[in-house]
Amino acid sequence: MAESTSSPTAGHAGIDLSQFYQVFFEEAGENLEQMEQMLLGLDVAAADDETLNAIFRCAHSVKGGAATFGFADVAELTHQMETLLDKLRRHELAPTAPMVDVLLQSGDALKAQLARHQGQDGASVDTRQLLATMRTLAEGRDAQAPKAPAPAAPAAAPAAAAGDSGLRALEITVGPLERPEQADQLAELFREITDLGSIEPLDAGQAADGMRRYKVQTRSNDDELLDLFGFHIAREQIRIAPLGPGYGFHRGAPGAPREEPAAADPGYGFFADAPGAPGAAAGAAAGSAQAPAATGAPAPRAEVRAAGGESSTLRVSVEKVDQLINLVGELVITQAMLAQNGKALAGSSTLQALANGLADLERNTRDLQEAVMSIRMIPMSLVFNRFPRMLRDLAAKLGKKVELVTQGEATELDKGMVEKITDPLTHLVRNSCDHGIELPAERLARGKPEHGTITLVASHQGGSIVIEVRDDGKGLDRARLLAKARERGIAAPDSLADAEVWSLIFAPGFSTAEQVTDVSGRGVGMDVVKKNITALGGSVEIDSAAGYGMSVKVRLPLTLAIMDGMSVGVGDECYILPLGSVVESFQVRPGMVRTIGGSGRVVQVRDEYLPVVDLERVFAVPRFDYEHASDIMVVVESDGARIALLVDELLGQQQVVVKNLEANYRKVPDVSGATIMGDGRVALILDVGSLVRRSRH
Amino acid sequence: MHTILAVDDSASMRQMVSFTLKSAGYQVVEAVDGIDAYEKAGKGDFQLVLTDQNMPRMDGISLVRKLRDNPKFRSTPILVLTTESGDQMKQAGRAAGATGWLVKPFDPAKLIEVIGKVLR
Repeated sequence: MAESTSSPTAGHAGIDLSQFYQVFFEEAGENLEQMEQMLLGLDVAAADDETLNAIFRCAHSVKGGAATFGFADVAELTHQMETLLDKLRRHELAPTAPMVDVLLQSGDALKAQLARHQGQDGASVDTRQLLATMRTLAEGRDAQAPKAPAPAAPAAAPAAAAGDSGLRALEITVGPLERPEQADQLAELFREITDLGSIEPLDAGQAADGMRRYKVQTRSNDDELLDLFGFHIAREQIRIAPLGPGYGFHRGAPGAPREEPAAADPGYGFFADAPGAPGAAAGAAAGSAQAPAATGAPAPRAEVRAAGGESSTLRVSVEKVDQLINLVGELVITQAMLAQNGKALAGSSTLQALANGLADLERNTRDLQEAVMSIRMIPMSLVFNRFPRMLRDLAAKLGKKVELVTQGEATELDKGMVEKITDPLTHLVRNSCDHGIELPAERLARGKPEHGTITLVASHQGGSIVIEVRDDGKGLDRARLLAKARERGIAAPDSLADAEVWSLIFAPGFSTAEQVTDVSGRGVGMDVVKKNITALGGSVEIDSAAGYGMSVKVRLPLTLAIMDGMSVGVGDECYILPLGSVVESFQVRPGMVRTIGGSGRVVQVRDEYLPVVDLERVFAVPRFDYEHASDIMVVVESDGARIALLVDELLGQQQVVVKNLEANYRKVPDVSGATIMGDGRVALILDVGSLVRRSRH
Repeated sequence: MHTILAVDDSASMRQMVSFTLKSAGYQVVEAVDGIDAYEKAGKGDFQLVLTDQNMPRMDGISLVRKLRDNPKFRSTPILVLTTESGDQMKQAGRAAGATGWLVKPFDPAKLIEVIGKVLR
């Protein structure tokens, strides 16, 4: 694959999705297998959340892949399963035996669909009855006998009568207001909070009595609405009353195919007033949902791979690979131990051969380790290639024109990392398209090309991989972010630096919009994105220029299992610093360290004063030998801030096998993991980010 | 008020150590070797012992061992202040029961800091 491909989302120029079908089929097969096992083991009377969530995730993953690769029938069925499962995991519905039955039957149907897409023979799968049953169950009603053979008619019957449970039509009266235009802020709320519903002014917004009236469709209850509106208008000035049925949100005529009410599932409908957006969105969704598999949905059929292609890969379980990696880790430790003992022999000529052998062992061990680690590495293209399809659909729904440019798809990343980074990246890309890229007319008016561009770049930088999501949209609005932060009760003084203002979008509860999409993302906010990336040992950086766009850079370690470290001695202990965080080190001379404000200590390094962190004190390290106590300072950096760590001595640089401390012991502050040294001692790996944050307090 | 037993066969060294400790507010009793030190230790009340290693009659590590055998000094901090910086000697001191190992020449401020830390 080329290092850089440019693909207009209108087509898939340059990307042949079929190369990923095989991976998708394998993945989907695993997910369905897991789901079936869990469904079979599910105790309907006392289902635990863990299992329900896990089952939901299986359906969710299959749906995401199917939608990406264009298997509409699979996506349709999994979407309906997901809707039902979502209600179960949220405890909106209690699991019942018929639910488990229909989910199992759907799993079988999915397997058949997938087999067909893989080119195996088999009758086309009629899923109408399954879909209808799940819809009915998801609405909290009993399904009619699911076994009955299903001609076309029944599919429509339950749906038409169903309406949409929980959706209410209300008339909201606001006033009297000094400035009637204040009421427009309510409409603004509905635009900002996707799942809130829809709002339309009544009386053309100009009633004679100075009151404003709105017709609202929402799932929220009155209290929730009043709480929200309360940000803008006093509660006593708002009256909420049910609206008569005349306002017809049951648009589907009896017997007609069920129509997704635009208000109930707005999907991407952030810009409700965008030309063509809401109508097109509902239409498109309905269109794909209605295409029955029986008529031969235009889903692509995977090419059956040539025999030669198949033999070039070998499927093995992740457990086996992980076991291999673990063993190599142990081998690395054994080798380091031998090398240490062998150093003493190097001088003696009779043992020169042994020393040479040890040197060879070291080289071979390192090569073996790299080779084994690379088994788990997969190219970023596997993630990136999900996006053209997703963006194309999203752009169409929003009425926007977006081009996707990807660079560095060949950059490899650990499989575990790829799986965990896919959702956060999807969210970031969606965000760029939703909120960054302007509508074509607006772009033209600003002198920009009609097509917005979203650029995805993956690259290696030192021991990390950096993934950048960049758009040339409108950028972040400093004033609006500050205002929104204050509305949400977040302290946000005007004096905040730009970078700090941008990072407000990561504050918990800042982006609360819950967006349900075809591809991914139920209720994932930017705070969750940041949290997930941090949990992977990564960091996020935002840059933005109003009017020119924004860039989000995600920095991740290459793998979670091995790390380049620098070992330092402190008292009786040895600690590991991630090599990437080490800037420099120097000898401490008397008078260098100054005390400020009672207990704080700083050291001057060239023209900069750095906080001094005494590791001996932080970890209350026992000490016998005072000969070189705290003689060396190591300057380390995290999140752009530097501190100087006081240590006794630098012991050396080495690759360490990271062992999870929490899994084996418990969470320790300022420590990110542990490793076993060549001499068999356990050394803690320091969490430099946490030490840097500590120094700020 | 803490009282420290300072042991060294060199008079100039004893003076310097005494001066440093006294200026930091400690009371000091001096001893010239291990045997002298052990006798004085039996009679007085010391919160810390600071001893040289290489001395006639009884060296520092032997003194440490002897003091540790005496229940009265089982938990009294004992620091060794010596020119010896070899790992083997340090380990021997540690095995004998010394609390810490300092190497001459010493920085007076550092000596006070270490003693403060050990006595806290």
